[in-house]
Amino acid sequence: MTGHHISTNKMLLQVAGALFLLTLLTVGIGYLQLPHPWAIIAAMGIAIFKATLVALFFMNLWWDKRFNAILLLSALGFFSLLVGLTLLDTLYRVPIIPEF
Amino acid sequence: MANDSTATSQPKFLQHHFVDAEQQFDSAKMGMWVFLVTEILFFGGLFAAYIVYRAWYPDLFVEASIELNTVLGTINTLVLIGSSFTVAMAIRAAQLNQQKKIVINLAITIFLACVFMVIKYFEWTHKFHLGIYPGQFYTFEGIPHPKASVFFSLYFLMTGLHGIHVLVGIGLMIWLLKRTFNGEFSSKYFTPIEITGLYWHLVDIIWIFLFPLFYLIE
Repeated sequence: MTGHHISTNKMLLQVAGALFLLTLLTVGIGYLQLPHPWAIIAAMGIAIFKATLVALFFMNLWWDKRFNAILLLSALGFFSLLVGLTLLDTLYRVPIIPEF
Repeated sequence: MANDSTATSQPKFLQHHFVDAEQQFDSAKMGMWVFLVTEILFFGGLFAAYIVYRAWYPDLFVEASIELNTVLGTINTLVLIGSSFTVAMAIRAAQLNQQKKIVINLAITIFLACVFMVIKYFEWTHKFHLGIYPGQFYTFEGIPHPKASVFFSLYFLMTGLHGIHVLVGIGLMIWLLKRTFNGEFSSKYFTPIEITGLYWHLVDIIWIFLFPLFYLIE
C-alpha cells in the first residue's frame, strides 16, 4: 500500500516529550494557585493543546484524509451544543426545586 | 469471502466487497473515527454533567479535589502518554514489517496500561476505605460541603468509565499480540493495529482532560 504516512522515531519521541513536559507544566501551574478564572483557563488551555498534539501526530490527522478530521470536529460541535443548551437551562434556573 | 475469479490476485486479508486494500483500509479507519465520535459523545454526557455541577457548586470542587492524590494522578498521566507513544511505535513497526518491534511495543503498552489500572485500583480502594463511595453510599465526613458526594459520584463515574475503556484496550492489545504471533500483520496489512491505536489515543485524550478537571483544582 502506498500513501501511508510513516512517522519517524524522532517525531514520535518529540511529541511524547512535549506531552510529558506539558503535563509537568500543568501540574506546576496547579501549585501556583492562580486567581479564579486563570487557573481553569491555563489547565484547559494546556489540556486542549495536548489533545490536539495527540490527535494530529499520534492519530495522524495531520496527514490523513480530511474527512476524519471533520468527523472529530463534528463530535466537538455536537458536544458544544449539548453543553451550551444545557447551560442555558441550568445557569439561569430559578431555585424552585430546593437543592438537587 | 471466496471469490474464485480473482482469488489468485487478491491478498488473503482483502474482503471481496472492496475495490482494493487501500479502500478497505480507508473504510475501516473512517468507521473507527465514526465510532470515536460516539465515544466522545458518550463521555460528553458526563463532561456536561461535570460542567453543570461545577457551575453550580464551584467551592465544592475546590474543597473535594484535595482528597485526590495529585502525585498519583500525574504519574498515571505520564504512564498513559507513554503507552500512547508505544502504540504509535507499534504502528510504525508494522508499517516497516518489523515483527519483533510490534510485539515489544504492544507488550510495553499492555504493561503500562496495567500500571495505570493498578494505580487507579489503589486510589479507588483508598477512597472506599475512607467511606468515599458514589451517591447515597457516601459516608466520609472530612469535607464540610453538603454536596461533597456529588464531586465523588462524578469522579467515580468518569474515571470508572475511563477505566473500563483501559481494560477493553488491554484486551484489544492482547488480541493484537496473538494475531502478530500468527504473522497476520505486515506493511501490507496492519489495519487492526492502526484502528486499535486510534481507540487507545482517544482513551489517552479523555484522561488528558480528566486529570486537570479532577486533580488540579487547588
